[in-house]
Parts: sequence; structure tokens; C-alpha cells
Amino acid sequence: MKHKFFLASASVAALLAAGGCGSAPVRIDTASNQGLTTIHQIDFKDWQIAAEKGISSMLESGALKRADGRKTILMISNVKNSTSENVNTRILTDKIRQAVLRSGQAVVTTAVGAKGAEETAVRQVRELENDDLFNQSTVQKRGTVIAPDMSLSGEIVQQQRRSGRTEESYFFIHMVLTDLATGLAMWEDNVEIAKQGTKSIFD
Amino acid sequence: MKRCRKTVVLPAVLGGMLALCACQDSVNTLENMDKTAQQEYVDTRYFSTDSYCRDRITILAVNKTTTDSGLMKFQVQIRSNRYGFWSELWSDIMGANPYHISYKVDWLDAKGMKVNTASSVWLPEILMPGEVKYIQSVAPNANCRDFFISFKEN
Repeated sequence: MKHKFFLASASVAALLAAGGCGSAPVRIDTASNQGLTTIHQIDFKDWQIAAEKGISSMLESGALKRADGRKTILMISNVKNSTSENVNTRILTDKIRQAVLRSGQAVVTTAVGAKGAEETAVRQVRELENDDLFNQSTVQKRGTVIAPDMSLSGEIVQQQRRSGRTEESYFFIHMVLTDLATGLAMWEDNVEIAKQGTKSIFD
Repeated sequence: MKRCRKTVVLPAVLGGMLALCACQDSVNTLENMDKTAQQEYVDTRYFSTDSYCRDRITILAVNKTTTDSGLMKFQVQIRSNRYGFWSELWSDIMGANPYHISYKVDWLDAKGMKVNTASSVWLPEILMPGEVKYIQSVAPNANCRDFFISFKEN
């Protein structure tokens, strides 16, 4: 009887201990594969894959190079989110714009964006032209901001499927570089990411 | 009784092995013999700390080119060696079929300094048994001269 009581107590204690087990938060290397992998969301590794493939393809195409030798002025336009999740596409566009700048083939304007100017200061500083507080010779003049030659836009599409306990998500990330003078797409590519997982019977 | 057990167990084991053999999903390949491509092969130096990863992937070729926009580009041709009965049986038992690896590319400028790029992160690659894959990377700018690629098992 005593033996049974000890066994039951030990089992309950072990279960409680196991239930209480967790791990303290740790920092992980963003370059590693340590991040979480979810099925229906775009994880940081997915953004990295999409950015790497998109950037390599864009740089290789030579679409940013101009015949006159001048650097292309690129504006970041809209990346439409057609997924069921709330995703911030800036993670992708920021990686691309940094790569574009680093390549030396183009420069990115922040004076124009999909939803107005990204950097409102360009317009704000020109409103100082009637302010006698400022030395007018130091105020930025109108007609000096350079308009973009090309725009980068895209769309992220998601397709979800389920078969029994197995779930799958397919993300189709489409990117396009448009020549604003002609309206022609000078480069297009897409990155496909598919993720699958099987739910536990206890879920 | 013993003889009866043997007559049941032995065919069952053999049948199981044959069934597993039939379930192999390794890749067969076909290529032209008379190559016409002018490839610029790269001499490489391999440093391995994981002999399993080294033996499971064969580096078939490393070649480079320069893109029209003046950027260096390289390609590494790899093949998964995890094919054949025992290798695939072991991969299946370990849940490692197909073979998941990761690679990371570091680009170095003319002075040997690392240039940060979007590909300086571990990127996944999935290989079927015997499959040949091509890993490519384009230099982030025209100053990049050398590259350094790392592989690891996932």
C-alpha cells in the first residue's frame, strides 16, 4: 500500500515537473537555420530565401544598367499582399534596395513611394523657403529632386491545402522592375516557397 | 515449430527488403557527351569538419563567369550520394530522405574583405537520392573577386 502511494506521488511529481519545463529565451543567429518554421506564415528564413533569389536574378539580368552610364534611379513601389496573413513586405523590399545600392548599378529614391513619399523631409525642407528664420541660400531649391527611372513592385500570393492531418502552404512571390518611361517590364522573376507539416493527433 | 518459424520469418525479411528496394526513388540522369559549353572551371580547396556531409555530397564542378552587367557569378554542381539500398534505407530510418542541406556564400572584395550580401545567410537546399543540383550566386558588386561557400547538413 505504502509502495503504491510513493509510486503515485512520484509519478504526479514527475508529470508536474515535466509540465513546468520550459526554456529561457535565447538570442539566435539570424543567418542560421535556428528560427521557427511555421506552415501558414512567412518566416524570417523565407524572406531571406526570397530576397537572395530575387536579388541574384535582378543583378544578373543587367536590367538596372543604363546605356548612357548614368545610375538608374529606382523607386520602391507597392508589393501587394494577397495572403491570408498580415505580412510586412518591407522586409523584402528593404533587402532588395540595400542590395541595389551595394551593387553600384542604381540608387534608390525615397522622395517617391507607393503611398506617397517615404521620406517626407524632402518636401518639408522646401517649405522653409518663406521662413525668415532660415538663411535662404541654405534652403534646398525646388526643381532639384531627381525623378525615378524605374520602379520595383510585386505581389505575394498564398495557396493553402489540407489533406487529413497534413497541411501545406505555397507562397508565390512575384517581383517586377518597370521602366517608367515606357511602362515595360525590364525584369520579372518569382520565388516559390512551399511548406508542409502534419499535425499531431493530440492537437 | 522452429522450422516453421524460419520458413515464415526468412521470406518475410526478404520480402521486406525487396519491397524497400522497389520503393527507392533515386534520380537517374542523362546528358550529352559532346559538350559545347565553354566553361571556366575554378580550382578549389575543400576543408571538411563533417565527414558525413563531405561523403554524402560530391562536388562535381565549380565554374565561374562574368555577367553582362560585369558581376562575377559562380556555379557549384553537386550530387547527393545518398542512393543505393543501404544508404536509402538508413536515410529513411533517420527521416533524412530527401537529404536536407544548407549552404552559405560569402563574397570577398579585391582586398580579401568580406562583403555583406543577402546570400550571407544559410539557405536551404533539398536533394533527392542521386540528384544533381546547381548552386549559383552572383557577386553583390563588381569589386568582388573571390568567394567562399559553406555546406552543412540540416
